Amino acid sequence: MVVDDTGAKERAVRIAIADDDVLLREGLASLLARSGFDVVGQAGDAVALLTLVREREPELVIVDIRMPPTHSTEGLDAARSIREEHPAVGILVLSAHVEVEEAIELLAGGERIGYLLKSRVTDVGEFIDTVARIARGASIVDPSLIQELVAARRRNDPLALLTAREREVLALMAEGCSNAGIGRRLWVTDGTVEKHVKSILTKLQLPESPDDHRRVLAVIAFLEAR
Amino acid sequence: MRNAFRGFVTSACERRSLARRRRADWVVAIAGPVIITAVLLPFGSFFALSSVLLFVLLAVIAAALIGGLRPALTAVAVGVLAGVFLHVRHYGGLRDPLGVDLAKILAFVFVGVAIAILVGELTRLAAEQGALRRVATLVARAAPPDEVFASVTAEIGLLIPADTTQIYRFERDRTASNIARWSKPGTDLPAAARWKLGGHNVTTLVARTGRPARIDNRADGTGEIGTEARAAGARTSVGAPIVVEGELWGVAVATSTGGRRFRGDTEARLAAFTALVALAIANAESRDELAASRARVLAAADEARRRIERDLHDGTQQRLTALALELRATEAAVPPDMTGIRTQLSRTAKGLAAAVDDLQEISRGIPPAILSKGGLGPAIKALARRSAIPVELELSSDTRLPERIEVGAYYVVSEALTNAVKHSGASVVYIRVDVDDLVAQISIRDDGVGGADPTRGSGLTGLQDRVESLGGTFEIANSVGHGTAILARIAMESGDNGRR
Repeated sequence: MVVDDTGAKERAVRIAIADDDVLLREGLASLLARSGFDVVGQAGDAVALLTLVREREPELVIVDIRMPPTHSTEGLDAARSIREEHPAVGILVLSAHVEVEEAIELLAGGERIGYLLKSRVTDVGEFIDTVARIARGASIVDPSLIQELVAARRRNDPLALLTAREREVLALMAEGCSNAGIGRRLWVTDGTVEKHVKSILTKLQLPESPDDHRRVLAVIAFLEAR
Repeated sequence: MRNAFRGFVTSACERRSLARRRRADWVVAIAGPVIITAVLLPFGSFFALSSVLLFVLLAVIAAALIGGLRPALTAVAVGVLAGVFLHVRHYGGLRDPLGVDLAKILAFVFVGVAIAILVGELTRLAAEQGALRRVATLVARAAPPDEVFASVTAEIGLLIPADTTQIYRFERDRTASNIARWSKPGTDLPAAARWKLGGHNVTTLVARTGRPARIDNRADGTGEIGTEARAAGARTSVGAPIVVEGELWGVAVATSTGGRRFRGDTEARLAAFTALVALAIANAESRDELAASRARVLAAADEARRRIERDLHDGTQQRLTALALELRATEAAVPPDMTGIRTQLSRTAKGLAAAVDDLQEISRGIPPAILSKGGLGPAIKALARRSAIPVELELSSDTRLPERIEVGAYYVVSEALTNAVKHSGASVVYIRVDVDDLVAQISIRDDGVGGADPTRGSGLTGLQDRVESLGGTFEIANSVGHGTAILARIAMESGDNGRR
C-alpha cells in the first residue's frame, strides 16, 4: 500500500520478478513487499516470466538480463516480447554490467523502461524510488553508464561548450530525471533547471523533446555518437 | 588454390629462348666439324686422317657440352665425313680403306660416342642438380606448397623432358585432385581438377601400390584419367609417389605425347623431386599444426576467461548482492531505537556493494558480452569511451566476423589502447578497423613518444602471438618521437596449404 500526499489509499503497484538466482529473487520480493508493492509472482526464466505476465497482468516487471538457458541476453529478449504483447507494462532490466547499445535498444521500445546495474538494488531507498518512478511512467538509465558516456574523452568535444553545472544537468537528463527531479537533486528551482536545459539543448543543437522519455533517448544517442 | 596453375603458364620469353637453344645445338653439331675442316684446308700437313679426326673431336665435345647426346652423335658423323673428305681431296684416295683407315675411323667414332655420352650425362646431371637445388631452396625458404608444386612441375617437365607434368593429391573419396600442372607450350592438358581413380593409368597404379609406375603404351589406358590422357594424345607416362611422413599423399606424373619413351631412370629422377615436395608439405603441415596449437591454447585461455567472468557475474556478484539485500532486510527489521546496530548493518551492506563494484572492475579486461552479441563495433566503441586518452575511431562496416577474428581484433585494440595509455603520453589515439571479404585490418596509431619495446614484457608480444595464431600478420612501427603505430591484418579464412 502506498499512501499518497492526499492521504487517500492508492492501489499497490503490481510487480513480477524474474531472476534465476532464488536468493536474490526472494530478497528483491521481500524488499518490494516491505516497501508497499504487490509482488504478484516470481519466475526463474524468460518463458516462465512471459506466462506470469499473461496470467497475472503485472504493471511492472523486474527482469535479470542473464537467465537460463544460455545466460546471455534472455532478459532483453523477454523485455522485447512483453513490449510487443503488453505495451503498457513497465520494464526494469537488471544487468551485471551495462552497455549503451542495450540501453538504446531498450529505450527505443518505448517509455516506462529502466536499465540498471544489478548492484543498485542494495541501495534500497534509491532503488525503491526508481521502481516507483518507472511505474509512474519514467524511463531510467543507470548513472554509471551515463557517467561513462559523459566522461568519455573526445577531441573537439561538443561537451566542452557546457559549464560544469550544465554537464551535471545533462547527466541527470540522460539518467531519466524530469526537470522537477533534477531540481530536487541539485537543490535548485525548476526555473533554473529549465534555463540550464534550454541552454544545453541550444549548445548541443538537440531538439526539444515533448516528454522525458524521448529526452533520455535523444541525450544518450547524442552522447554515444559524439 | 591460388598458384596451382602457375606451372601451366610458360612465358613467351621462356618459349623463345628454348627454341633458340635447340637451333644452336644443331648448328654447333653440323657447322662445328665443317668449320674445322674449312680452317684446316690451307694447312696440307694436317691432312692425315688421324690429325683431322683429332681436331674434329673438339667439335664433338663442343656439341656434347652445348646440345647433349644427339647433337654430339651428329657431330661424330659429320666429323667422319669431313675427315674422309679432306684426306681424299688431298691424297686422292684412302691408303688402306679396310685396314688402318677403318681402324682410325672406328677409334674416332668410339671415342666420339664415349665423349658424347659422358659429357651428355654430365650436363644432364648438372641440370638435374641445378633443378633440385632450386626446388630445395624454395623448400628451405618455407615457400608456400603451391609455389613448390608449380616449380617442381616446371622443372621436371624441362628436365626429363616431358610434354606435361602434373601433381595429384589423393583424396579420401578415391579421387585425385590435380593441384599443379605444367605443359610444354602448345600441349593441351585435360582441364578437370578432380578425377576418379580406377582403371589402368599411372595415377591409379601409384595410388594402389604406393610405388613408382610407368605405362609405355598409353593406347591401353583406361579409367577416367587414362581415357582422358589418351584423348589428349599421351603416349608414355611415369609417376612417382609423394609420401609425406610415411603416408601416401599424392603423385607426380610426367607424360610424353611424342613417340619417345622415357629413360629407364625417369622414376628415380622423379622420386628425387617428390621427396622435396613431400618435405615442403610436411613442413607446411607442421607450421599449420603449430599455429593451430597456438590458436587452441589461446582459445582455451579465452574460454577460461569467459567462464571466470560468468562465474563472477552470475555466481559471486549475484551472491554478494543477495547477501547485501538480506542485510538491508535485517536492517529494516531492527527496532528503530537500536541505532548502533542499524548503522553497523548499513555500513556492512555498503561494504558489500563496494565489493561488487570491485568485482565489476576485475572483469573489465575480459571480452564483454557485447562483443559476442553486438560485434566488434559496439565493443570497440565501449573501449574507446573508457580510454583515458581521446580516441578517434573509424569503423568501415558493421558486418559480423567469425568469432575468433572478433575476439582477436578486440584484444588487439584493447591491449594497444592500454599500452598507449600507460606508455605513450599521447594526446590522441587513432583506431581504424577496415573489413572486407578477405581481410580484417586493424590499425592503432598514437602521437606519443614512441619507442615502446615489444620485447620487454609489454602486452604487445602476446598480441603478436594472438594475431599470428589466427594466421595474420602483426607489425609495429615504433620510432622514438613519432608515436607508435600497430597494424594487424587477419585473413577471413586461413589458407589450407595444400592439405586435405
